[in-house]
Amino acid sequence: MSQRILTVSDLTVSFDTDDGVVQAVRGINGYLDRGECLGIVGESGSGKSQTFLAAMGLTSSNGHTNGKIEFKGQDLLSLKKSELNKIRGDKMSMIFQDPLTSLTSHLPIGKQMQEVLRTHRNIGGREAMAICLDWLERVQMPEAKRRLKQYPHELSGGMRQRIMIAMAMLCEPDLLIADEPTTALDVTIQAEILDIMDNLRREQGTAIALITHDMGVVARMCDRIQVMRHGEYVEEGSVEDIFYNPQHEYTNMLLDSVPHIDVTGAKPSKVSKVAIYEDGGRDFLRAEDLRVEFKVARGMFAKPAILRAVDGVSFDLQAGETLGIVGESGSGKSTLARAVLQLIPPTSGTVSWLGSPLNNIQKDELKAKRRDLQIVFQDPLASLDPSKPIGASIMEPLTVFESQLSKAEMRERVNEVMLRVGLNASFINRYPHELSGGQNQRVGIARAIITKPKLVICDEAVSALDVSIQSQIIDLLMDLQKEFGLSFIFISHDLSVVWEISHRILVLYLGTVVELTDTSSLFSNPQHPYTQQLISSVPLPDPKIERKRQRIKLVGEMSSPMDPAARLRFLPSKMHLMKDGYIPKLEERFPGHFVAEHDDISELLIS
Amino acid sequence: MIKYAFNRLLTTIPVLWIAITVCFFILRMAPGGPFDGDRPLPEAIKANLAAHYNLDKPLIEQYFIYVGNVLQGNLGPSFTTPDFTVSEQLAVGLPYTLILGGAAFFVSLVIGVAIGVYGALKRNSYPDHILAAIVLMGLVVPGFLVAPILQLIFGLKLNWLPVGGWGDGSISYLVLPVTVLCLPHIARISRLTRGSMIEALNSNAIRTAYSKGLSDTAIVWRHALRPAMMPVLSYLGPAAGFLLTGSLVVESIFGIPGIGRYFINAALNRDYGMVLGTVVFYMVLIMVLNLLVDIFYAWLDPRVRTR
Repeated sequence: MSQRILTVSDLTVSFDTDDGVVQAVRGINGYLDRGECLGIVGESGSGKSQTFLAAMGLTSSNGHTNGKIEFKGQDLLSLKKSELNKIRGDKMSMIFQDPLTSLTSHLPIGKQMQEVLRTHRNIGGREAMAICLDWLERVQMPEAKRRLKQYPHELSGGMRQRIMIAMAMLCEPDLLIADEPTTALDVTIQAEILDIMDNLRREQGTAIALITHDMGVVARMCDRIQVMRHGEYVEEGSVEDIFYNPQHEYTNMLLDSVPHIDVTGAKPSKVSKVAIYEDGGRDFLRAEDLRVEFKVARGMFAKPAILRAVDGVSFDLQAGETLGIVGESGSGKSTLARAVLQLIPPTSGTVSWLGSPLNNIQKDELKAKRRDLQIVFQDPLASLDPSKPIGASIMEPLTVFESQLSKAEMRERVNEVMLRVGLNASFINRYPHELSGGQNQRVGIARAIITKPKLVICDEAVSALDVSIQSQIIDLLMDLQKEFGLSFIFISHDLSVVWEISHRILVLYLGTVVELTDTSSLFSNPQHPYTQQLISSVPLPDPKIERKRQRIKLVGEMSSPMDPAARLRFLPSKMHLMKDGYIPKLEERFPGHFVAEHDDISELLIS
Repeated sequence: MIKYAFNRLLTTIPVLWIAITVCFFILRMAPGGPFDGDRPLPEAIKANLAAHYNLDKPLIEQYFIYVGNVLQGNLGPSFTTPDFTVSEQLAVGLPYTLILGGAAFFVSLVIGVAIGVYGALKRNSYPDHILAAIVLMGLVVPGFLVAPILQLIFGLKLNWLPVGGWGDGSISYLVLPVTVLCLPHIARISRLTRGSMIEALNSNAIRTAYSKGLSDTAIVWRHALRPAMMPVLSYLGPAAGFLLTGSLVVESIFGIPGIGRYFINAALNRDYGMVLGTVVFYMVLIMVLNLLVDIFYAWLDPRVRTR
């Protein structure tokens, strides 16, 4: 078992930049044995990828490496490129975070796979095709044969990552480096990809270096963990040691920042107990049978296809309440949020706000209401005007809604709100690119709350942030809720974050509500098979629980909202009604617990 | 792919029609006509001429006659050279221009891309900087200056090449004019290629290709070149249009009987038929080139096909 594959000694990686030399990796030591899975965790900028990019000879041209990386006795850093080319892709291979941009877009999958065999094994033609096909089947690629002729853009994210893995495994390497392999994927797909990697390790004895920020993924996959910060390992040890007996304060902080979903039904401790109006508060915000359709052009003369992004969603929200909306990519979460705020006009249905309608009203009327209805977006840097200092961005809503204020009063308010969201007042004249992601998101929040709105929609507002920053922002949001009685609609693909912040949760699937209930019932007593699958797919940051957990795998894959059969994925018994556009109905199974019609889960499990 | 090309072809038809219409009416709005010379013609003769060329009919009727002719592939008569139709006149000069422009286009593309790829691979090295400087010279020094200098050196001093004329169309007559036509295009193409190639080489897909252990040659030619050619392709459409419609400057300096001069003469003489004919011809040419560019886009990037 203890056959050493990789030894790293005194590795440093530095980059020449316009601001001088940046030390990305500062003298680290480590090793990896055959069949072992090593987790390298850390936040962005910790240098966790750079270590292994250096091993693969992929350090960018302005980088310098020093020290030694020994792979089966050969020092990789001192090899000539032609010699390194004999190792990488053959004995050692790598998969990356974004499987779409990581594949060459103009070459069919088969060609991209075959060139690996041609390069390292001098195998081509039918023989190579057979090996590629075999590997595609081993990574459970549906309709593997057809994929060889397809282009990367014709496949889903999960399928692309399967191809990356299959391609990396073609020459049966001793070491597979996986750099955030599932970060861009939905949880259910993530669970499948992690399973595939775990099996490869068991069957092939491939050592895996798993670089990730996700403590749940580490808990599930790894034998050993190295925690990295500022280019150094702060702590190293077995999974059990790191999770149950962390020594370094940074490890502690990382573990504390991760929401620990409790599936036993306990309420998340942090959620505020803001008085929810037991009655009467139902008129705060109400969406009824909301639909948003897009026309998808199919060429000049063909009738455009209709894409139902949001397909009859109803919910209500009370003052001071947080409604979490979860769903995988393409489920229509963001479209729903925008439709509620009338940023996209709904095709039909109504949204009412404090008893009066929000849609089909005059522009001026809507504009006046916007003061109370704000939104915070996912990418904090991209959603701020790069040419404006942040103070001006924060102040802008005031110039619209409270233009009677003098410049000095406005500046006073900006200072107040910056202080409130934890931004140093001296930042007022800084530009977005000068701030970190977390700081920029605070700017986004400050801008949203400066008019003292009643409802703030957070559209993946913390998804791009590191866990420690993420937990700070969530704490901030909950404090603001306590202080001002704000209501939130909190949209995220990340169940653990939604669990942490929400009073009630709405699960969205292809534009329809699958389940809607309070947070603790959803996690302790999920009714819909899809919800059950989602919850069981989330990796929990606790190795003992995580390794024993049974994962629910349902037949089929989330397909396009254009596919009418996709809507009946959980109700195959009504498939004959597909032509009539049958949509599973929402029923109130327990008081306040709504579940969409579905077949028994035993019918839907992958046998 | 074929369906895509066909769809693109159909969309060019209305554009062509609108362009013809606009040109037709704008030209008629300009003062003067083909028979207004320094010495005015007698009214009776003028009226006869006008009747012969349908110029006495209402403008809208003339328009329909013209469009009808164009639809049959007839560009109509020339008003100032009554022995030839517009099509015949274009046909005389066209082969020269096409050979010259086609050669220049091909040479610019090959040399420009080669320099660009080389610069991207050796970026910020001395050879890269030196090549970039030389190439830039070709862009900033105008053709009417380069041409006589080259004629002086290679034609008169060294006596290697003829200074002008078409001769029998042999290569030696082509070298100098093609060079002069090429220089600015080589400069633009190489700069575009270098930039987009650097971008392509820094992409995630290329990182994957390196991680597979492929050789540099395989990476550049198989993985990086096609995406890097996208911006170059957008430039090639207009560049080809420019080269194939003939350069008045180069054609007159080297005494080549191409079509560049027809356009100028026709415009000066208010030869409606000739001007419109040349315009229609250019438009069709440029649209065909743009269509080719779009089809090449689809070939370079399969994602375009499904859009």
